[in-house]
Amino acid sequence: MMNRAVIEGSALAVLALSILTIWFRARYKARPASDGGYLTREELQFELGRLQDEALRWLTTTNHREIGILYIAFGTIAALWGGMDAMMLRTELLTPPADIWTPETYNALFTTHGLTMLIFFVLPVFFGIGNYFLPLLIGADDMAFPRVNAIGFWLLPPALLMARFGLIVQIGGQVLSIFLPDDQIMFFLSLREVSVGWTLYAPLSVVQPNPQIDLLLLGLHLSGIATTVGAINFIATVIYERADGVTWGNLDIFSWNMLVTSSIALFAFPLLGSALVMLLLDRNLGTTFFATEGGGPVLWQHLFWFWGHPEVYILFLPATGLMSLILPKFVGRKLFGYQFIVYSTLGLAVMSFGVWAHHMFTSGVDPRLKASFMAISIAIAVPSAIKVFNWLTTMWDGDIKLSAPFILCAGGIGTFIIGGVTGVFLAVIPIDILYHGTYYVVGHFHLIVVGIIPMLMIASSYYWYPILTGRWYDRRLAKFQSGLLIVGAFVTFMILLVIGGMGLPRRQAIYPPEYQLAQQMATVGSYVIGLSAVMWLYNMLVSYWRGDVVQSTDPWNLKATNQFTREWQWFEERMVEKYDMEPAQPETTRRSYAPELEPMGLLGGVGSVAQNVYRNASMAAVAGFIGTFLMTGGIGTAIVIGVLDPASFAEISELVGLGTSAIIGAALFLAGGTIIWPLLFLSFQEFLPGRRMFETGLVFATLVATGFSVAFYTDQQGLAFVGYLTFVFVAHWAYGLGLAVTFQFLRSRRTDMGA
Amino acid sequence: MSDESILFTYIAPFVGVLVVAVGIGAAVPGGYAIIQEDITTCDSPTVAVEGPEETTERFNESRPRTLPTLYYENLSEAEQTAFDEALADPIGEARVTGDFPNGDTIRNGSIIVYEGEEHYATVVAENPCFVAPELQFPLGVFAIIFGVIGILSPPIYRKLVELEERANVE
Ligand code: HEM
Ligand SMILES: [Cu+2]
Repeated sequence: MMNRAVIEGSALAVLALSILTIWFRARYKARPASDGGYLTREELQFELGRLQDEALRWLTTTNHREIGILYIAFGTIAALWGGMDAMMLRTELLTPPADIWTPETYNALFTTHGLTMLIFFVLPVFFGIGNYFLPLLIGADDMAFPRVNAIGFWLLPPALLMARFGLIVQIGGQVLSIFLPDDQIMFFLSLREVSVGWTLYAPLSVVQPNPQIDLLLLGLHLSGIATTVGAINFIATVIYERADGVTWGNLDIFSWNMLVTSSIALFAFPLLGSALVMLLLDRNLGTTFFATEGGGPVLWQHLFWFWGHPEVYILFLPATGLMSLILPKFVGRKLFGYQFIVYSTLGLAVMSFGVWAHHMFTSGVDPRLKASFMAISIAIAVPSAIKVFNWLTTMWDGDIKLSAPFILCAGGIGTFIIGGVTGVFLAVIPIDILYHGTYYVVGHFHLIVVGIIPMLMIASSYYWYPILTGRWYDRRLAKFQSGLLIVGAFVTFMILLVIGGMGLPRRQAIYPPEYQLAQQMATVGSYVIGLSAVMWLYNMLVSYWRGDVVQSTDPWNLKATNQFTREWQWFEERMVEKYDMEPAQPETTRRSYAPELEPMGLLGGVGSVAQNVYRNASMAAVAGFIGTFLMTGGIGTAIVIGVLDPASFAEISELVGLGTSAIIGAALFLAGGTIIWPLLFLSFQEFLPGRRMFETGLVFATLVATGFSVAFYTDQQGLAFVGYLTFVFVAHWAYGLGLAVTFQFLRSRRTDMGA
Repeated sequence: MSDESILFTYIAPFVGVLVVAVGIGAAVPGGYAIIQEDITTCDSPTVAVEGPEETTERFNESRPRTLPTLYYENLSEAEQTAFDEALADPIGEARVTGDFPNGDTIRNGSIIVYEGEEHYATVVAENPCFVAPELQFPLGVFAIIFGVIGILSPPIYRKLVELEERANVE
């Protein structure tokens, strides 16, 4: 069993270091080169002074845009931390027994994962987006209370540290225990991450002695205060700071949603705060609110879910707001049914407070009461369905632009539909009783929390990237990353829905072996999600320094469809002021290479193929040698790890009648790779599919590899067979690429010299 | 769009990501299997020990007659150490590293009498060692490297196209 604290700590440290490296490298490269490239002392001092000024500025800022960025950065860090927990959870689930983490560690992981994601990731990011863009969207100069705004944000970092203090202390204890005896550092050895589940159900949360539970409760309380403060600020801003001409009838949907979300938060979070304090009192001062003989554990469940269900809407309403805002821009049509969307949002807000007991169908609540909760819970699906209907209608017949934000919007709608429909099933009491303890639930709500929520966060980060930085993100990478996220989320959580439907219980590190393959596929899917998140981050960081500079005041061409909304008008004004840009729409031209389409003769089509082969034989030999050299790396590795039998080389020499010597065989192999195969390749390459020579090279290598894999097969089984095949193919691809690229390289040198 | 190779701009990196993801799934546990002997104590079960009050509360009046009773003095050294550690532990758990002769009894729950007081003890986790095929680690690492090349294929592709373009200039 690995030491979870140290592993997670180091993984996070590596992640942080790579982010910093990427950032500074991109920044350094973006600078015009200075004299010699050496950093002088003055330069270093200047740099340090600048860093100090920057730090002071960020720590004391009350500007809504800067606070917005702080919120987003904080939420991203929390997401990476909670995501690391998720990856560790999924890694444990690669095998049926609890053999990578102990069950207790697993419990701690899903507890902290849930809390970090729900409390410290989602709402902070949405508050950040709101902080930055809501004032721009409603034409306000800043938030209503700029200083309160700053305080609200700065309560969050200590809250997160308190909530996750167990991990920090555990790492500290590990380090200290190298130098000090155990009894001097008792404190560090007695704290550990909370493992009672994110719902903190009594009586377990009352009786477990782990003092980290108290710190967690305090941290959650602090974050609740931060949320309440922020919510008040949003409400006041929307009500009092709107510019002339922004009325309730034309307020944009995102601002509407932030207003409604904030109102829900205003009612829900103080209640969570009191419940947390009661739990703290129970734990430390002997009160009995939730003790079995006192108020009873079910009281905790009522209080918790009276906050907990509205919290669900707090989390996803901003995402639907972003969807209603962004989607129309990419289909060139106005949002369909503005009024319906506003009313459905308001309806959701009210109803969200009337359904909490659907989380308690399996506890001893009066059945008549349960039935009424079931009815409202099913009814609450209607407003959400209205939204989906409106989005689909907006898209219908639209002029769709297939850019990253649109891809994410479409993916978000898809996950929202599946996540929502599976949720309606859970509102039906008999179904919930069957499934509430299974992976079905995990699949259901992750399709929302790893679906529409992050997808729309990312969509907005792309959509507004020009405003945030004045540059473009890497658009190809963005599209790719978006697709990856959608595929990963679907694969991972659809599988969880299915295995949950088959009855696999959730919150267990150990599971029956027949589920292993499904769990492994879900884990691979989750790694794909993780990789796509890293790609997003990379894109954001590097494009900040090196993205193409935005050349137009209307980068998305929104004027054409009459959707040039206020935040872009603000952007336009600023660009005109700062860079003297023309407010009109300059023709955007996208730089791209235009490769020749016709197949090429070897030397620009001069002479017959055979002549060319002859003329280029020496270059081909060099290329072949390099290709063979690369290939030997692959083949050699395969031999070293034991998936390829070197004796099979002896067969080559036997074949040509030189006896069974592996050495001679290998020499023949080398000669063939250097002379015969390149010549064959050059003769046939025009007949092989592929536009470019390296493409045909790959095709050629694939063909040869197929033959090779049959000829050299020595009865490998299982993993060894997989390894054999991969190494054979990869080694041949290396050969094909090496051959084609070297050949072209030599030719390019020759033409360079000739020109 | 049409001037770009879909294969090398989207499909190859996509396959690359899949390969990397599978590679991580293979290499991380595979590597762990190789070093776990050195860095961990697997195959040493965790026991949970409850205090005397909790024990009484747990069984108030309905103590099953089959519940075996053990005496602290008769436990093996490793068992005794684990018992002491569990009593001192905030969650009441500790690992038995070493001889575990009473394992089968404690696994199903038993009472341990210590200084005249009764403690309910049971194994809560077996902590088995992780087993993986030997090839899993090298193949996983290889898959990660190979996948990364796949992910990087769009820029590589552009470089190669540039090279060919230059080669074809006369
Ligand atoms: C890469 C993305 C994610 C993956 C792979 C993932 C995976 C998991 C896993 C494996 C569990 C434990 C399931 C169990 O053993 O019962 C879990 C639980 C949980 N996750 Fe995630 N998760 C991800 C993102 C998120 C996000 C973004 C949120 C919230 C915003 C979230 C909220 C939760 C919660 C609340 C639980 C606890 C469920 C329970 O108490 O049973 N997760 N997740
Ligand atoms: Cu609910």
